[in-house]
Amino acid sequence: MHEASHAAWLLSAALLASLVGMAWLALAMPAHGQQVWGAPVPPAHARVLRVLGAVALAVSLALCLASDHASMAALVWVMSLAGGAFATAMALAWRARWLALLAPWIGAVDTATTR
Amino acid sequence: MAAQGVAAQSFRQAMAWLHTWFGLVLGFVLMAAFFFGALSVFDREIDRWAIPSTRFEPQPMPSYEQILRPAFERMQPTQQAIDAMRPRVDGPMPEHFDTVANWSAYTTHRDPVLALFAGFQVPGAKDPDEAIFALGTIDPRDGTALPDDRLKIGSGFFYPMHYSLTLDWKNLGVWIVGFSALVMLAALVSGVVMHRKFFRELFTFRPGKGGLRSVLDLHNLTGVVALPFHFFFAFTGLVIFSATYFFPVGHTQLHDLHDLHAATEASELGLPHKRAGVPAGLANVDAMVAEAQRRWAARDMAGDVGFLVLQHVGDANGYVSVYRAGTDRIALVGQGIHFKASTGVLIREDPVATPVGKVAEFLTGLHLQHFRHWLLRWLYVLGGLLGAVCIATGFVFFVEKRKRQHAKQGSQGARIVDALAVTMITGMVAATLGILVANRLLPDDLPARGDWERYAFWGTWALALLHAGLRSAPVARGLANPAWREQCGAIVVLALAAVGLNWITTGDHLLRTLGAGYWPVAGLDLALLATAAIAGATGLHLRRRAAATAAVEHPRREAAHA
Repeated sequence: MHEASHAAWLLSAALLASLVGMAWLALAMPAHGQQVWGAPVPPAHARVLRVLGAVALAVSLALCLASDHASMAALVWVMSLAGGAFATAMALAWRARWLALLAPWIGAVDTATTR
Repeated sequence: MAAQGVAAQSFRQAMAWLHTWFGLVLGFVLMAAFFFGALSVFDREIDRWAIPSTRFEPQPMPSYEQILRPAFERMQPTQQAIDAMRPRVDGPMPEHFDTVANWSAYTTHRDPVLALFAGFQVPGAKDPDEAIFALGTIDPRDGTALPDDRLKIGSGFFYPMHYSLTLDWKNLGVWIVGFSALVMLAALVSGVVMHRKFFRELFTFRPGKGGLRSVLDLHNLTGVVALPFHFFFAFTGLVIFSATYFFPVGHTQLHDLHDLHAATEASELGLPHKRAGVPAGLANVDAMVAEAQRRWAARDMAGDVGFLVLQHVGDANGYVSVYRAGTDRIALVGQGIHFKASTGVLIREDPVATPVGKVAEFLTGLHLQHFRHWLLRWLYVLGGLLGAVCIATGFVFFVEKRKRQHAKQGSQGARIVDALAVTMITGMVAATLGILVANRLLPDDLPARGDWERYAFWGTWALALLHAGLRSAPVARGLANPAWREQCGAIVVLALAAVGLNWITTGDHLLRTLGAGYWPVAGLDLALLATAAIAGATGLHLRRRAAATAAVEHPRREAAHA
């Protein structure tokens, strides 16, 4: 039972990392920065977001591998990427501003300077 | 440079033509494959919902000596099977079948009930290798026989719908689905070629933009984010049926060679192909199972037995094969361990597969999903439903792009495609709910109850087609078909009815099933409620949009009259 709940925590964290990673990658893109802050993020910030996104997706893979046999972990990870990307797209479509919470260090001030 | 541009352009146009027309024709098949595939992920759980007497926890393979042997010994072919076999036998059929060719029992980590199979030799059969079979289902806790004539709606209907559309005649359905999977691979490639902003629009869905834009966004989004899923499931589906699709000669042209190969292989493996004709006893099977589990543990594998086979029962050549239930990894393998039946001595342990074999095991295993992993199951449902949305939006895009033009030309093309799309999208969901409602409404002791459930499914679907066709006239004037929102309403009613009827007929309402943590039934009830909510919201949205369009159209028409 203890082992099962341990796996559940690892997998929940993996799902969360995929979601956040995909969201960071999206926020680095000009069109989506526009949706969230009203202007694309400046290039320096975009680079940071891209790196963060890639790291989060790698963390997600590591968590999947820690939870399951490698063959299974690979599938869980690929499918969690699909889920994360879809959820990010839906969040951008309906509640774009919520995603600003994932990058609180990027304020309206930063984006305003690029205008 | 310019010539290159033209070539690229015409290549892209060729891809667009392929994608549009093959997608339209075979999309109808793929829609069913995706939707029923998503349901098949939880086929065993749907079976529990549909057969209330089997609503208990999954059980391990029971003891042979205490449970299985008495159950096997009771088994005899049904009168129906005997009558079906009669034309292929010289002389009369026996009263009782005594020579057991094989006994086997199959279970998974999700099955509370145990499926039993028995094959018997038939004296005087024109093909001496042809056996007559008996099937049985028991409660593995005490060996009591359970009714076996109930339709297992999940594993016995939705699952065959997924890969064969239940068109069994000459395997036609399997061929249609396989061809569609092949075309789907082409549609994925051509779709990626057509979609120029693959990465730039990875997260793009603009519902506010309306019209064609938002439909195409959703089509691209659901296709691209789950692209690995779509690709690998179409591909592995073809791999699973490769013996049917690519080498269907084993049982046609090369029958004798096939038999010779089976005999040679058997002698190489030390597993006798035929009976010796010498009676022999049976050593303790439970001890063999324990030995098999010890050997799996030595290889660091989970040791649940999935499949137990007794070959040539009662004969000196008899052997017992114990296969593992592959719960702990993707690769679909049994790691079979074989024992001599009369002595219990180990004959053979299946070796580790070759690298190519391992790849094949992984590919088939990822599709057939015998593993124990609830998150991955749900992610597969998500993948399947994303695929279904991708195809559905493809239909809608096809119609929306053409219907105004067709209205001007007086063509009925868009109208027909739209009516078929209604049938294939909302109609298919309604039919699925129809069989569940019928399952709870039909009397328990109705003869051929399973057939009536199937009729409810096809009947509901036929009604949906009729309704979609009758209501389709506005499409020919460039407007929306009201059948979309009306069938959304039907889905709401049917889904709520299924949940309510489950409560009334079994007493298992959500508070009880959730409280007891009985997820097979609670999960399906929750999914039904979610279906009702989504269909309800969609129906209301469509009604508001229709009202808005009417408000714009109405004054315009009056102005035209004046």
